[in-house]
Amino acid sequence: MPELEFYSIVDRSYRWFTPAQNRESIGIDLPNSEYDPDLGQQVLEEVAQGAQRAERLGFDGLLIFEQHNTPLALFPNALTGAAWLSAKTTGIKIVAGGPILNAYSSPVRLAEEIALVDTVSNGRLTVALPLGIGAQYHGYGAMNPVHARAKFREGVELLHKIWAEDGPFAWEGEHYHHPYVNVWPRQRQDPHPEVFITAAGSRETIELAAKYDATYQAILTPMPILTKNTQLFRDLREEYGHKPDRKKIAAVISIHTAETDEIARAEVEKHALWGLQNVLRFPFNQSFPPGHVSQASLRGMMSGGYRSSDPSLATWEQITEGYSYIAGSPETVIRKLTELTDAIGAGRVICSSDFTLPMWLQEKAQTIFANDVIPAFRAPDGLAVWQREKPVGYTTATERAGRKPHYAGTPTVGVNGEYVPLLPQ
Amino acid sequence: MPVTHHPDPSAERAHIRGQEIAFRRAGSGPTLVFLSTVALSGRWLPIYGQLAEHFEVIVPDLPGFGLSPQGESMRDIDDLVFTLAEFLDELGVGKFDLVGHSFGGWVAAEFAAFYPDRIGALVLITPMGVRVQGEAVADLFRQDAQGRLNLMLNGNTDLLVDESDEEPLERLLQDFHDLTGFGRFAWNPRYDIRLDVRLGRVKNRALIIGADDDRVVPASHAARFAELLPNSQQLTIHGTTAPTGHAVHVQEPAVVAAAIDNFVGGHYA
Repeated sequence: MPELEFYSIVDRSYRWFTPAQNRESIGIDLPNSEYDPDLGQQVLEEVAQGAQRAERLGFDGLLIFEQHNTPLALFPNALTGAAWLSAKTTGIKIVAGGPILNAYSSPVRLAEEIALVDTVSNGRLTVALPLGIGAQYHGYGAMNPVHARAKFREGVELLHKIWAEDGPFAWEGEHYHHPYVNVWPRQRQDPHPEVFITAAGSRETIELAAKYDATYQAILTPMPILTKNTQLFRDLREEYGHKPDRKKIAAVISIHTAETDEIARAEVEKHALWGLQNVLRFPFNQSFPPGHVSQASLRGMMSGGYRSSDPSLATWEQITEGYSYIAGSPETVIRKLTELTDAIGAGRVICSSDFTLPMWLQEKAQTIFANDVIPAFRAPDGLAVWQREKPVGYTTATERAGRKPHYAGTPTVGVNGEYVPLLPQ
Repeated sequence: MPVTHHPDPSAERAHIRGQEIAFRRAGSGPTLVFLSTVALSGRWLPIYGQLAEHFEVIVPDLPGFGLSPQGESMRDIDDLVFTLAEFLDELGVGKFDLVGHSFGGWVAAEFAAFYPDRIGALVLITPMGVRVQGEAVADLFRQDAQGRLNLMLNGNTDLLVDESDEEPLERLLQDFHDLTGFGRFAWNPRYDIRLDVRLGRVKNRALIIGADDDRVVPASHAARFAELLPNSQQLTIHGTTAPTGHAVHVQEPAVVAAAIDNFVGGHYA
């Protein structure tokens, strides 16, 4: 049995809007007059409960996605959400899934937020960097999708330079221009927080993940293309001199576990369909705004069967025929997870639970998953990765003192023309 | 003056420092350059043939439109203007009259602001490019190809007979190409606030052609262009069988061609 790490997506949808039904999408301009602050607060409280549950059940990490202009999930800034969830939990890894780099005026601003959250979470942060789905380019508006990939590549490069080199340094790029890159605070983890790069299948993004030794977070792709892409990723990693590592491929899957396959379907079918018919419903022009993918990638995707039918019309049978939605008994879930992760060589699974499931039902499904599925893919001690690794930062004052921090200077103050120590020596 | 009429001339190619520009031309006489827009590039419209009875008509596919590759290094519309100027140099075009439709009208207006002395008259057909607060242009980026044509022709898409035998995938890729070219310059903002100042430089005679029922660019935009262009007049072309829409020159080619000819005719010869 392959060893796997499990990350729980803890996002919840705001679901009390006029049903999409005949709307082409609610991902851009669903009026926010349909939002009620009390219900929004409830959604976010559910997220916190989900985060604490993920930690209590022994998931390796939790993940939230950044979204804009949509009730799909309520984190328009993934790092703000990650900071909050780091205060609600103690040890679990936190994946800020998708600060959309291009939504920032500069990657320097993003680096500042990452460093801050990495520090206050005591080095528990992972950043997943997506290009941002097409609808977000429509909705957020300020980012031109035509320049998105070039800016994204440059941004990822600058981010890694910020992590690798001391400031100040000048950045004279194509899209970003900074006389003084000099981020305070600096990141807590050494050399930097782990990076996931989300890719639907474009070669450019897969290569970027390979180059920077990032985890390829594979989404939204039919299996034959996914197996081809993950092989390409492994080949490119080798070209860039990285050792084989299954942890560098993460599969994003919806999972629902129950006593039997029949019960699983009965519990979750309507929620899965609701998501596709409402918050995950995007026509072609919203998935592919101009220039968001290259002509070659678009040709590949359209020829490979991507979106040969409207996903919002999918039936339960269609949803579950592949591996992107696994619902069933623990035996079924273990079998399908094994097949999938073996086929694509994944060492991590990012588990989505429908964003509308009642909290009690999610608790039930995930408890069965934690008791009867996760242990099949773990070392016999059953420990999550964050229980095995020592925290990056100190946890007591004595530990801090024992680390002998580097003091570049001691504070002095000018008094009567003479500099004296600010504090007694 | 001899008139050479090519009903559907095939595309020629010019190369401007690495940027290929496809263009079509027909007719002889004073040069008239016609700039088109998304959904209507890469083809020879009937109005071009009608104009070619009196002018040497040159219709380039702007970089990223029709058969012209993307202007990969281009950032904003100024880059487009400079490339267009070099393209016309390459063709040996001296002074010429400039017509632009929709986004092509925006480019034409910018060109006139940079090079007022190079052009005679300026004709803008249902142009976009100026900011009119609260009156945004329709979001063409959220339409499929058919939806865009519907908006431009008020549903009368049978006016454009598509005789190409391209596969649906090839059509989709061509449409994505054109939309990418359009998005490079017009994704955000969908106007150039600098035109508020720049257009004051354009003392050339200018005609702004509007339609009865433009569902892409609100009529207030033509009025704003008229306000900003010091020597301009407005003309609304009415439909003979149905109210005219955004692509008024597709709907009423003979009437628009006559209006252009009347306005432009020999004023600088």
